[in-house]
Amino acid sequence: MRSIGLRYCGGCNPQIDRSKVIENLKEALKENGVEVDFTTDRQSAVDIVLLINGCMHACLEEEYLREAYSPQFISVKGEMVDDQYIEEELIPGFLIKKIMDLFNT
Amino acid sequence: MTMMNGKEYIESLRTLHPEVYFFGQKIKSIVDEPMFQPHIHTAAMTYELAHDPEYEQIMTATSHLTGERINRFTHIHQSIDDLVKKVRMMRLLGQKTGTCFQRCVGLDGLNGVYVTTYNTDQKYGTDYHERFKKYLLEVQKNDWMPSGAMTDARGDRSLHPSKQTHPDAYLHIKERLKDGIIVSGIKAHITGAINSHEILTMPTRTMGEEDKDFALSFSIPADTKGVTYIFSRQTNDTRRLDGVLDGGNPKYGIVGGEAIIIFKDVFVPWERVFMAGEYDFTNELVETFAGYHRSNYGGCKVGLADVVIGGSNWIAEAHGINKASHIIDKLTEMIAMAETCWSCTLACSYEGYKTPSGAYHINPLLANVTKLNITRMVYEWMRLAQDIAGGKIITLPSEKDLDNPETMEILTECFVGKEGVPPMDIIKMLRLIENMSVGAGLPEAMHGAGSPAAQKIMIARRSGIDKKMELARTIAGINRDKYFEKIIGKDETAHWDEVKKKIKEKKVQIY
Repeated sequence: MRSIGLRYCGGCNPQIDRSKVIENLKEALKENGVEVDFTTDRQSAVDIVLLINGCMHACLEEEYLREAYSPQFISVKGEMVDDQYIEEELIPGFLIKKIMDLFNT
Repeated sequence: MTMMNGKEYIESLRTLHPEVYFFGQKIKSIVDEPMFQPHIHTAAMTYELAHDPEYEQIMTATSHLTGERINRFTHIHQSIDDLVKKVRMMRLLGQKTGTCFQRCVGLDGLNGVYVTTYNTDQKYGTDYHERFKKYLLEVQKNDWMPSGAMTDARGDRSLHPSKQTHPDAYLHIKERLKDGIIVSGIKAHITGAINSHEILTMPTRTMGEEDKDFALSFSIPADTKGVTYIFSRQTNDTRRLDGVLDGGNPKYGIVGGEAIIIFKDVFVPWERVFMAGEYDFTNELVETFAGYHRSNYGGCKVGLADVVIGGSNWIAEAHGINKASHIIDKLTEMIAMAETCWSCTLACSYEGYKTPSGAYHINPLLANVTKLNITRMVYEWMRLAQDIAGGKIITLPSEKDLDNPETMEILTECFVGKEGVPPMDIIKMLRLIENMSVGAGLPEAMHGAGSPAAQKIMIARRSGIDKKMELARTIAGINRDKYFEKIIGKDETAHWDEVKKKIKEKKVQIY
């Protein structure tokens, strides 16, 4: 089974409901028949890391960009995913596409 | 890359021949016109300090286009550090000039257009961003100062641009040609316009589909055919012609030297057009520019506060009242307000983010809070400066009476302060405080970068009020509080039922 490491920012003043985004993502993956194991354990080996930043400042990116992190990561940062603006309710659908692209490469 | 110094900047203006009117006259030479010189000196400071090793860390940056060292006023912010250094530069220049140094409008325009053209191209497949990068390269290579021309004349504010009786109330496209566009319209109170090398225009408001021809951004040389400037008045401006002393800040003047720019059938080649009808990106460009620009005010105005606080303390010492508790209290108030605004601007810079274009933008909510504080606190710290300085700031005699042998001696005696302080120095300082606290700098702090209502709209829009309601609902017990349930180890409703029961049984201990 494919695995995704979840990393949450500190959540001081999030513009999005981070847990809800992930809940909706999990449901949508399930509906699409994609089985993924999610973990917040930083020691576990994973295929993709999903950074869930509450706002566009993206505190988590500072750490991950600095370390030239492997494996690849997708960064949710408020109503933005990587370098695209996405409304909150559309984020899970957008993430599925990104995740599938990374799984398939 | 050329990085001009102050003198070279002034000389570079001689190569331009913009059509400028002031006081009913056409001005022959911008550089030689005494009414304009203080503004030119102030803008020159943005060039001069870039050459001083003491300030170059703040005043210069590395171009992301060429890797070369450039003046920070032509730089696209590439990191949080760049955003922070930008506002540090604003404070520094406010300290060195005591007034508006004009060049930040163009800087914010460059960054705003850079960010927006990238997003426009993503949606429409246009090539505005590449065009703009080529233009930016020219700006950096020549160390140009573009004036950022956003605010239109606007006519009837209740009507959209296309519905105005006078079509020139907003700058617009009159004709689309194969090689460019013809534009007409009026931009109002544009800072540093007459002493800039270029004009960078941006739309002033959100446009609808019917306003397509008004959704417009371009750059042209300042002396392009068809462009006319009318320089605006400022408080006590003609004192500059009366001598040296009465102006208060004869070297650097007061506010930014604003002008009305009239565009009449001006040709703009396509390579200099960065928006031409993409009305759905007008809001983004306005908000991006405004965000950058509003953040600046917590830098530049705090630099001015540093000067006026220093001046107020100096006057208090010269008058022998600096130990009085009410003076210490007032100065402390001024410092606290200034540093509050500084904290705001640092915060909106440190909380900035990377846009899809790669450029960094400030936190828009905090930038608007910064500017809203400025609209209030500048008035308050200037009020305290007036309070400390005393009534003399509005009753000082003229320089001509101070120079007149018949009145000189008695007037000088009148301004004697503490022993050892020359009376003329006291007069100089009082004039500076008058210039800074009574003049046009106050409404500039109110309306520059947008009036308070504009900031409140942005603050309301970006505050996330729904999420705040969620927080309140959870604390109030309307929503389920999962963390509280974890802490108490049970369902919240069951917990409160137990508590009520224990209270009824007069058992105070809850657990």
